[in-house]
Amino acid sequence: MNAAIDPAILKEAAGWLVRLQSETLSVADRAAFDRWRARSAAHEAAWQRAEAMLRGFGQVPPRLGGQALRQADRAARRQALRALAGLLVLGPAAWMGARELPWREWRADLRTATGEQRRVALADGTELVLNTGSAVDVDYSPTQRVLWLRGGEILLTTGRDPAPVHRPFVVQTAQGSLRALGTRFLVREEGGRVRVAVFEGAVQVQPARTDSGLVLAAGEQTVFTAREAAAPVAADGAAASWADGMLAARNWRLADLVDELGRYRRGVLRCDPAVAGLRVSGAFPLNDIDASLRLLEKTLPVRVSRMTPLWTTVGPRAAVTH
Amino acid sequence: MPAPQSSCADNVTKLYREHHGWLATWLRGKLGSSFDAADLAHDTFVRLMAGRRRQEAGAEPRALLTHIAKGLVADHWRRRAVEDAYLAAVAQLPAAEAPSPEARALILETLHAIDAALRSLSARTREAFLMSQFDGMGYEEIARAQRVSLSTVKRRMQAAFAACLIAYQADAP
Repeated sequence: MNAAIDPAILKEAAGWLVRLQSETLSVADRAAFDRWRARSAAHEAAWQRAEAMLRGFGQVPPRLGGQALRQADRAARRQALRALAGLLVLGPAAWMGARELPWREWRADLRTATGEQRRVALADGTELVLNTGSAVDVDYSPTQRVLWLRGGEILLTTGRDPAPVHRPFVVQTAQGSLRALGTRFLVREEGGRVRVAVFEGAVQVQPARTDSGLVLAAGEQTVFTAREAAAPVAADGAAASWADGMLAARNWRLADLVDELGRYRRGVLRCDPAVAGLRVSGAFPLNDIDASLRLLEKTLPVRVSRMTPLWTTVGPRAAVTH
Repeated sequence: MPAPQSSCADNVTKLYREHHGWLATWLRGKLGSSFDAADLAHDTFVRLMAGRRRQEAGAEPRALLTHIAKGLVADHWRRRAVEDAYLAAVAQLPAAEAPSPEARALILETLHAIDAALRSLSARTREAFLMSQFDGMGYEEIARAQRVSLSTVKRRMQAAFAACLIAYQADAP
């Protein structure tokens, strides 16, 4: 039963599976399929294996299977990211007190403080992660599922709505709306404009004051204002790494990195223009910004000076006068 | 010329005696559990004996043993990730929908098999497969979501099915 079957035959069996799933076979196709199966014992065994496999898939509750395998993928990526940073492996729940909250209300206001992150499971299976200093109003009605992004940054993995009637999933921002088409995506309010990056599925972007929108596919990102959306460009795959408690930077300007880290802590974090253009790569823990700054001191010719608890500057290591 | 059986076996016994200790310690450091470490140390030697690479072990068996063990550690964490994600997903189901304990074991084995089979494929092929088999999306719908042609989706699906069939043991659920 478990004898090795020629991979070439298994590939043909896979081809038949695809045809059976995607089209209605004609009588002639049906006959061709029967002839294929009858060609040898190995062909028949290959088909038996294919059917057994489909039965196995059929035993997995649909939502659960997809959810578990995608989640496992993300966990594996997290692990890789940590290896990159050379950090100890912590339990996934250890990051920044991120926690799962069952959320069954139709309406809710969700907020995070500076440096806080929050993971919320919504009633339809959608997972919402709020980044530092963010605010969202949840407004689910019988006809649609709407999230109002009031400020900050969110990462969404939409669930399959159990409601009998399909309810569109929409993120509303001051600049326009985003309609999710079965998906995982990130929305970030940047003062007067909104950044969207799509990692899975697709998102329809509709600026508030124009009729022309666009559809972003997986792996794309754009920035839009109320009047227009920029042409899509490739999304940074690590843009959502904050949801795993890490900031992944690849060849960033130091000034940009310092700005980004500043979002996660109170007070002013400033980058001296003398070192602003230095290039940085690496993964920085967000639950301990001071540790991230120490990491910078180790890898770059910079010094972090704290004038007051609320005023910190990243400057050149040697006293440079200019 | 193949070496006589007995000398092969002696060779492995010797390897085991000399290297099992540090390997188990190294694995305990990686895994944080001496039970898991003992299992994987054992598996490492089984893998070494089963493989054709035993001869390569030659003068520097540490490198080969570490290489095999690293692969096993990665598999271990990957299985753990699938298991954790699965348990988390089950925990969110209403009690009435939750699978029975027997069904759970079968489902988990199926998920491990799928995960292992799909690992070598591209992210978009994996995603197409999950959309089709678990999200109940039709091929045309997937083509629209991925913004590719229907024939690309079919090609991805065939690759995914073939990978599963090749990986799939006939005695799996």
